[in-house]
Amino acid sequence: MDDERPIFLQIAQLLEDQILDGSSPEGAQVPSINELAAFHRINPATALKGVNRLVDAGVLIKRRGVGMFVADGARDRLVAQRQEAFSAQYVRPLIAEAARLGIDADRLRDMIRTEATR
Amino acid sequence: MTALAHERPAALSSPGRRIGNVMRMHVANPWPAVLLPWLILFAIHAMMLAIWAIISHYAGPDLDADAFRYSGGISWIVFYLMSIAIQATNATFRFALGFSATRRDYYLGTLAFFLITAAMFSTGIGVLALVERATDGWGMGGSLYAPAYLYDRSFGEIVFHFFTLIALFAVIGLLIGAMYVRWRATGLYAFFGALSLVLLGLTWWLLDAGWGPVGRFFTETPLVGILAWTLPVTVVLAVLGWVALRRAPARG
Amino acid sequence: MTAVEATRVTKTFGAVTAVDAASFAIPEGAITGLLGRNGAGKTTLMNLITGQDFATSGTLRVFGERPVENPRVLSRVCFIKESQSYPDSYRGRHVLAMAPHFFPHYDAALADRLVADFDVPLSRPVKKMSRGQRSALGAIVGIASRAELTLLDEPYAGLDAVARHVFYDRLLEDYAEHPRTVVLSTHLIDEAADLLERVIVIHGGRIVIDEEAEDLRGTASTVVGRHADVEAFVAGRDVMSRERVGGIASATVAGLSAHDKARAAESGLEVTAVSLQQLIVRRTGGDPHDARTHTTEEASS
Repeated sequence: MDDERPIFLQIAQLLEDQILDGSSPEGAQVPSINELAAFHRINPATALKGVNRLVDAGVLIKRRGVGMFVADGARDRLVAQRQEAFSAQYVRPLIAEAARLGIDADRLRDMIRTEATR
Repeated sequence: MTALAHERPAALSSPGRRIGNVMRMHVANPWPAVLLPWLILFAIHAMMLAIWAIISHYAGPDLDADAFRYSGGISWIVFYLMSIAIQATNATFRFALGFSATRRDYYLGTLAFFLITAAMFSTGIGVLALVERATDGWGMGGSLYAPAYLYDRSFGEIVFHFFTLIALFAVIGLLIGAMYVRWRATGLYAFFGALSLVLLGLTWWLLDAGWGPVGRFFTETPLVGILAWTLPVTVVLAVLGWVALRRAPARG
Repeated sequence: MTAVEATRVTKTFGAVTAVDAASFAIPEGAITGLLGRNGAGKTTLMNLITGQDFATSGTLRVFGERPVENPRVLSRVCFIKESQSYPDSYRGRHVLAMAPHFFPHYDAALADRLVADFDVPLSRPVKKMSRGQRSALGAIVGIASRAELTLLDEPYAGLDAVARHVFYDRLLEDYAEHPRTVVLSTHLIDEAADLLERVIVIHGGRIVIDEEAEDLRGTASTVVGRHADVEAFVAGRDVMSRERVGGIASATVAGLSAHDKARAAESGLEVTAVSLQQLIVRRTGGDPHDARTHTTEEASS
């Protein structure tokens, strides 16, 4: 866990990442609160807060006495969310740093194309 | 949060149980307070028998009948148990409070433990004194368990004698220990300072009033009467011990 | 629900004020960290909470009652202190044999497992054990007691990193299954930071921080860059500390928003989060009276 962001956000993001990269497909069971707490050595209350965030967003579904599962359509919803955040999170800092280094938009586009086809 | 609503801990709700638990703490390792004293006692016994045998062998028929009646081989037990009591109110007090006992439960349990210890040792010594008598002083006219003025006393008197003395000195030990945990070194200075003053006052009074009345008290009062006089002293010291301990911190 | 409630609790030893008008509440069913430097008053405070010592003034309530000489409260409490003394004759096994009689929820099977985990020589006299072994013995009793309020004062002094992680893992495992109120005092803040839900920091006997751990995370950031840029950026902000080497400066500031951080990055400053440990070091590095002023300023702004 890094120091920057609240731990529950990091837990939520870790679970999201697993859904996005397919290691937790839709309908699959995700680790319990206690397993998450033990694995990351964090307070169970914090793990619960992270998981509840995803439950509220409809990404995870709680089945009483059974466990938590990835909801149907969870992946598509996450992809849409992440795409929205992509620009602010990655593109804008990229342009700012490029500007500092004197790289204009055209050159930046070329660089991206080169890297993408590597 | 449901798991937090534990059922009331029934095991600790009764004061009797809590006091019993403190007593248990003193015998978790029964070695120093219960077993070792008997072992030392039997070792002394064996040594006394050997010494008596050697003396009888060389002295032959000239030996006085009461030659072996004045051994002090038993009095140490009173002081041994006093030292156990001093230790008990130091480390064991802080341990008991560390295990969430109250000072009150600790003191009552400790007091009860030493009264039971006094009863056990005095009864044991009384029984051994009877055996000693039945075997004609272990076959040599010796008296280890009921020496000197106890030689011709009854079982009850011997038991009462050791019980009152062990109880008195154990309570003195508890008081010393309690003053130490309450006031540290200052407490010990206060205890021994007070003791010196009492002894000084007593000496002054004896010199002034003469030995007459005191001597008369000890010769005219029956043994049981003299010993019975220690009981109120024991009670007063036990109360003083509580006064010192009830506000004693358990830090460090 | 509150497990512990302190109102202006003060404890003086002669001329020394060990705890100075401390007011705080410890929530029930959470792990609270009681943090501070050596001699800050952590142990004294825990001694007062458990009735081992007597407060000079102020009031303390544990489960709504006065803890001193109160068997109803104390039977629900387990306090494991670093300097716990044991009777001279005790071996490790005697300590564990006594525990079930004093802690009503004690789990002997769990204690046995922990003995194996920590590799404690139970037949060794406690006074001949190493510091680490004695700490482990205390930690075992502390975890296995499952007391509704468990206070652990520097529970792993003398334990190596591996054994400390065993401690964190076992504590978390058992806490997850049997929720209770845990108060953990430690100076290894970074190690324990993620376990804590609430953080109370004591400095010079005064409570200088009393907040949710999540709220404390990311409350301070360090910006590094050219001196002029740093100064321009931090102007008018709550600066906790400043350093300067030649033309490069760094400043630790409180309360940066995401927007602030983006702006700092745009002006060529490097922004890093301050860890809980660094945050506490900065708040407790100096005179406790300054630290107190700092929090009051923050509260009023």
